[in-house]
Amino acid sequence: MSARGISAVVGVEALKLGAQIKTYLVLAACLAGPFAFATAIRLQSSLPTDTLFGRAVKESGFAVSLVLLGFAALWAFPVLTSIIGGDLFSGEDRYGTWKLVLTRSCSRADVFAGKVITAVIVSMLTICVSAASSIAAGVLVIGPGPLIDLSGIRLTSDQALIRVVLAWASIVAPALAFTAFAVLLSVIFRNSVIGVGLPVVVGLVMQLAAMLDGPELFRRLLITSAFGAWHGLFVQPSYYGPLFDGFALSSACVVLCLTLAFRSLARRDIAG
Amino acid sequence: MINRALRLVALAIGLSGCGQSPITSMRAERAIAPTFANLVHTQMVWIGLPPVAASDFAVQARCRRLQGAPSGSGEWTCALTWRGPDRRTLRNSYELFVTTDGCYAATAAGENVGGPMLTSENGRDIRNLLYAFEGCFDTT
Repeated sequence: MSARGISAVVGVEALKLGAQIKTYLVLAACLAGPFAFATAIRLQSSLPTDTLFGRAVKESGFAVSLVLLGFAALWAFPVLTSIIGGDLFSGEDRYGTWKLVLTRSCSRADVFAGKVITAVIVSMLTICVSAASSIAAGVLVIGPGPLIDLSGIRLTSDQALIRVVLAWASIVAPALAFTAFAVLLSVIFRNSVIGVGLPVVVGLVMQLAAMLDGPELFRRLLITSAFGAWHGLFVQPSYYGPLFDGFALSSACVVLCLTLAFRSLARRDIAG
Repeated sequence: MINRALRLVALAIGLSGCGQSPITSMRAERAIAPTFANLVHTQMVWIGLPPVAASDFAVQARCRRLQGAPSGSGEWTCALTWRGPDRRTLRNSYELFVTTDGCYAATAAGENVGGPMLTSENGRDIRNLLYAFEGCFDTT
């Protein structure tokens, strides 16, 4: 494995993604979605009261960002973070290009690392764009008003902004766990429908399972629970247990999925 | 492989039925009492009344689950007893919907906290924080 080989693979993958309309659609949705939501909130009188911070969306733009985070973490991020990762490897199967790729002066490890790095970059990019766009949409369309947190305390705009940024940062680990899972499925099943679709289904099943009453350990062992770990940041005194657990579990999932994916790819007989 | 995965899912769902839920009355009471006190404090500032420290309201909460086992997610009710700004003892009750992640949505039961909107001292319409509010507590 060499840095030069990996960067060459990342460059080629970036070029390929840059030529696909899918990449731009994902990023455009992350960029425009929050503005459309904030504008709709401003124009209509009903509020999304069934979501945390939903009652405050007309008072503080930071509430808009948090409502979007709550919604996106449940429904959008399992999709957005697997849409690229679930196709990077199986795309080579679909086009029958593995032999072509591996006859270049890059090892399998280079190709694997380069593709994984590309998937991670795209997932991070979607989260960063969504976070920046939702905060900007909230502040520009609704205004940077103070936010009442989940323990009834009024946060100034600065305090709210710091917590909102931390909340968005907290979903990076579980999102990457979904990306790694998508990569694993994409390598094993050699099929992009499974690579992109199955992580979404698994995400939904985990969320349904998390609604069952039971021991806390079981709920905490679901990756999707880490998407809601930021709630503790908006309670005073704050609690960080779910954040640490979510980070540890997501990291373990990333390592496990990528190890299995690499072993599968390294052992695969492509010559035939 | 798929069979094994299905067996794991079945085991996980089976396990989830055992053990006590972390959504207990003690956790709910410890969460809603200070949250309510903070909200009364914030509401008074919003309306333009002289502020009173949240701890002066001495809020005490008694919560119970409406159906089934004494702990778990779903519908709860909480009775709050607190000392108003004029030192009178006040009582409010809230209906809660608690989710398994320890977050709840509380809605006032009865009329004694007013409607969803209030008018401040300077005539501005403001949201009644005590009419409905949300909070979260640690489930570990």
